[in-house]
Amino acid sequence: MPQKNILEMKGITIQFPGVKALDGVDFSLREGEIHSLLGENGAGKSTLIKCLTGVNRMDEGQILLDGREIRPSGPSQAMELGISTVFQEVNLCPNLSVAENIFVGRQPMKHGQINWREINSRAEELMSRFHLNIDVTRPLSYYSTAIQQMTSIARAVDVKAKILILDEPTSSLDENEVQLLFNVMRELRANGMGIIFITHFLDQIYAVSDRMTILRNGHLIGTYGINELGKVELVTKMVGKDMDVIFNLKRAEVPGDADYMLKAEHIGDASHVKDISITLKKGELVGFAGLLGSGRTETAEMLFGASRTVKGEIFVDGESITLRQPFDAIKARIAFCPEDRKRDGIIGDLSIRENIMLAVQSRKGFMHPMTKQEQTELADKYIKLLGIATPDCEKKAGELSGGNQQKVILARWMAAEPKILILDEPTRGIDIGAKAEIQRLMLEMCGEGVSVIFISSELDEIIRCSNRIIIMRDREKVAEVDGSSCTQQDILKIIAEGAA
Amino acid sequence: MTNNRQSILSKLTNPKYIMVYATIGIFFVIYAFGAFMYGDKGFMTVRTFVNLFIDNAYFGISAVGMTMVLITGGIDLSVGAVASLTGMFIAYGTTVLGLHPMTCIFAALVMGVGLGLLMGWVIHYLNVPPFITTLTGMFFARGVCSLISRESIDIHHPMIDALAGWKIYLMKYSAGHWVRIRPIAFINFNVILFVVMIIAGTFILQRTRFGRNIYAIGGNEQSASLMGLPVGRTKVLVYGFNGLCSVLAGISYALYVKSGWNLSLQGGELEVITCAVIGGTLLTGGVGYMIGTLFGVLLKSVIPALITFNGNLLSWWGKIATGGLLLLFICIQRFVVTSSARKK
Amino acid sequence: MARKNFDVSSLMQSKVTWAVIAELLILLVCFIIRPDFFSISYQPSTGMLYGSLIDIVNRSAEITIISMGMTLVIALGGTDLSVGALVAVAGAIALKFLRWDVLTYNTPGDYTVCPYIFVLTVPLIVCALMGLFNGFLVAKGGIQPIIATLILMVCGRGVAQILTDGKQFTTGYSPFRIIGQGSFLYLPMPIIITILVVLGVAIFTRKTAFGAFVESVGVNPSASRLSGIKADTVILIVFMITGLLSGIAGLIYSSRIMSNDSNNAGLNFEMDAILAVVIGGTNMSGGKFSLAGTVIGSLIIRTIVTFVYYFGIVAEATMAFKALIIAVVIVLQSQPVREYFAKRAARRGGESR
Repeated sequence: MPQKNILEMKGITIQFPGVKALDGVDFSLREGEIHSLLGENGAGKSTLIKCLTGVNRMDEGQILLDGREIRPSGPSQAMELGISTVFQEVNLCPNLSVAENIFVGRQPMKHGQINWREINSRAEELMSRFHLNIDVTRPLSYYSTAIQQMTSIARAVDVKAKILILDEPTSSLDENEVQLLFNVMRELRANGMGIIFITHFLDQIYAVSDRMTILRNGHLIGTYGINELGKVELVTKMVGKDMDVIFNLKRAEVPGDADYMLKAEHIGDASHVKDISITLKKGELVGFAGLLGSGRTETAEMLFGASRTVKGEIFVDGESITLRQPFDAIKARIAFCPEDRKRDGIIGDLSIRENIMLAVQSRKGFMHPMTKQEQTELADKYIKLLGIATPDCEKKAGELSGGNQQKVILARWMAAEPKILILDEPTRGIDIGAKAEIQRLMLEMCGEGVSVIFISSELDEIIRCSNRIIIMRDREKVAEVDGSSCTQQDILKIIAEGAA
Repeated sequence: MTNNRQSILSKLTNPKYIMVYATIGIFFVIYAFGAFMYGDKGFMTVRTFVNLFIDNAYFGISAVGMTMVLITGGIDLSVGAVASLTGMFIAYGTTVLGLHPMTCIFAALVMGVGLGLLMGWVIHYLNVPPFITTLTGMFFARGVCSLISRESIDIHHPMIDALAGWKIYLMKYSAGHWVRIRPIAFINFNVILFVVMIIAGTFILQRTRFGRNIYAIGGNEQSASLMGLPVGRTKVLVYGFNGLCSVLAGISYALYVKSGWNLSLQGGELEVITCAVIGGTLLTGGVGYMIGTLFGVLLKSVIPALITFNGNLLSWWGKIATGGLLLLFICIQRFVVTSSARKK
Repeated sequence: MARKNFDVSSLMQSKVTWAVIAELLILLVCFIIRPDFFSISYQPSTGMLYGSLIDIVNRSAEITIISMGMTLVIALGGTDLSVGALVAVAGAIALKFLRWDVLTYNTPGDYTVCPYIFVLTVPLIVCALMGLFNGFLVAKGGIQPIIATLILMVCGRGVAQILTDGKQFTTGYSPFRIIGQGSFLYLPMPIIITILVVLGVAIFTRKTAFGAFVESVGVNPSASRLSGIKADTVILIVFMITGLLSGIAGLIYSSRIMSNDSNNAGLNFEMDAILAVVIGGTNMSGGKFSLAGTVIGSLIIRTIVTFVYYFGIVAEATMAFKALIIAVVIVLQSQPVREYFAKRAARRGGESR
């Protein structure tokens, strides 16, 4: 049964200085459907969304909502028209209660005062629709990211939205939380709401959406039903190249008698991880698989001295070392790309040059400065090597795209010439092309004798690159499997059921 | 779980109130200490307690506005100078120019609220840090103050005298009729203004959309604007309201000392901020309660009272004790923040 | 051509540019009204140069010195409110050592009770330790700098009062007079000290990687730590430097008045220093800092005051006048206004092509 379109965007063109961000793109959304919007970074997804919510002005084209032309002037007007957006980062106030976050700005009033009783009871009702029975009077910061995300959706839903835009809502959720979100999305769909869903996780698209629209470099590639296009074709269309060509990677080769680079014996931290033992050979790539919160990141942080190791012993190159702070790890030639790029990785206001030289400089100490020329040479070398897209090394690192920022962080650590490189979710939130490039770089470094620990939530990339895979569950190491012979199913089974 | 929310106990144990409890608790501990040490000198009388209000009403009135500014994540350094300027308007206007006090007060209100709104506008729309903007405002107000007069001017006007002298004696019922309690204790116009401002402040913060927008802005300004809240208007109005509070504090101070002086209340802004911080308001914004501020003012003013009762200590010890108190509260805040973060 | 346009536009975007323009404009106004404003004369009796310009630099010494430390604190994303109180503490300690027991030596004169070396070093050590205390609260306690330093601001003057039993001492000890009133190479001593301090801080931050570390921690403390920077150490050093510099300023101040004044010494210095830093183009949210800009900022503040004195504008108006000029500078420097001018410059460049 063909449903009616609630939203139609026709011939949308947006010109930015120097580039056409969108070139005559058509998009339509039906009543009661979940429509995925796909494309690499810079393909124009967010520009399209910003155009719909009135953040960006379009140069050509028209937007029809229920057949009437609209031109929203900003997010709040779009909201009044019935278009609500939930962003990747939770855009709520952590100090207000869950209930208040849903209603702030349009609180029900009684006798000229805010009616708190009604706010709380209506909030409870809304959250229980999402099967969340929580105390809605507690501050938002008291709850997990998933619940915060649900609160944004509750707010969006309660404004009687006809269209809900979910911009990468799943990137900080674990598997169960994602399922919870999907249930909510399905329920909203059943009530006739149109949902635009943006994500980088291909599996999730197939799990929940009805149709998908693919953009590339500001052009519309096409709109397809979910069953019309397989995963490989989808990626091919997104990237414009064949998937095999993109991921033409060769696993690192490690001779059986290679020396142990890192040995951690029965290490544990103060709160989460109790007892973990890990070995890593020279030039080997070991993957850490497991769900969010399984102890992957905590283990990595211990190996880098970012959190205190309270028991066990760590050997690097055969020598026992104590890691009190990251500086100690850097002295021992260990490098660590943290999970949260924005908070822990990039130093946005400083130039690319300064970002790259930082780890080298801190190892040397501030009394032995590098000259500006040395820094520039170093930065230029890695900009070229990693293909960082920038006019020069003096550009602020914060102005780069996500993938390029990740490369800058990688450059920072490559410049420090590590023996052990720990990468925590280095490919999260970046497009497939950049992902493949980062994986290639990782493997190249292994070839040069660097030992790599690779943490990722995406099993296929772990399996593609790792020599060995360590599987974590509930803050324990539950299994260790060979990377070349195992399948995604094997790992999933271990994660789900525990022991190998 | 529904029951869980409605139970009063759960409401009271909400972690967001911990700082307020700490303030109230420490106030009573110090008060009890005073009672224990100087009970025989009359520390435990109603009069001592009421005097805390009388002697610090002007701080309290200003702290109402300051609390709101701090909750938005801003700061206002101009309050002391604006209050001083208000006093100067009244003193110079009535004594030298022979104007009616109401005319002077009206002029002061226009000046104070206008300056507040202007500073709010500069802070929001020109994106200048609040610290710098209000510092400039402070220099300006102080300068105008000195421009009017460098001498202290006494205020003599029947209306001012009447207002300053007006008092309600606290009575008790004994042997069939009402008598004044001994030692005599009374409340005056300033105390009433202070209490009214605290109540009004509580109402604004807890019961109006404007008040809730203040919290939202302090929590995360960017989110607040993405949620469609009127961020700019709210911020400008908050600074305007704080200007109003400064003027009222200035009037209250003028009634208290019955004179205007260009150097009065120097550094007052930081004492007001200290009161708010001791009362549990976070300088990072988003957290603060009027009731906490009330006890912050009382807590800060009980220390000089204790030193007076002691009689042997130099008054400088008051400053050091306030500093120590500040340190204590900051440590408690720190502890509360880290322990609530750990829960997650 | 395109290259040049780019430069003009980025120059208009820079806050330091606007600070320099503002200073030059104020000086120009001075020159137009009183052409002898720039004249400098030599006074053989004191061996010093005299003139308004010399006076501006001389009188701005304390603020310039303190604001060198303040620049680093602000680059870390903080503010230090305690510097004014530390000025008072330094003066109190110095005078305490000079006079020690007023009952025995009851008239001020050209003597010191304790060895002169104590008079010079102990105040500096104490101030540096107090700075370290601030730094400790910030680095180890994780407390916001503005609150952490509020503690010493509130009780610092109390400490100064108690050290001197609430008394104001005066002294006539001539080696002490040299610090604030002596001269070297025809220049007043405070100028010499200021130049040394500015050079010292500049070399320490820019000829080592310390400045880069400060900026990095100021922008993103967590990422800096994970890049191997010992953020805590950086914070401790910066606050200690600021405390030490406040001590130096305190010695200059009390040498100028040959006395200690716990109530008024260094009053509002923290405000002036922060203002100097911000006018000089360092962002209050931390990150990139400019020491040269700060020096200009400090000079602007002092030039305004001198200007007011010099032209017989009623002295009482100084504060209001200062506020007005600073308001203009700050509005010109504000982000929307700078963007507006940068856009106009770029457009004009485009048209002329």
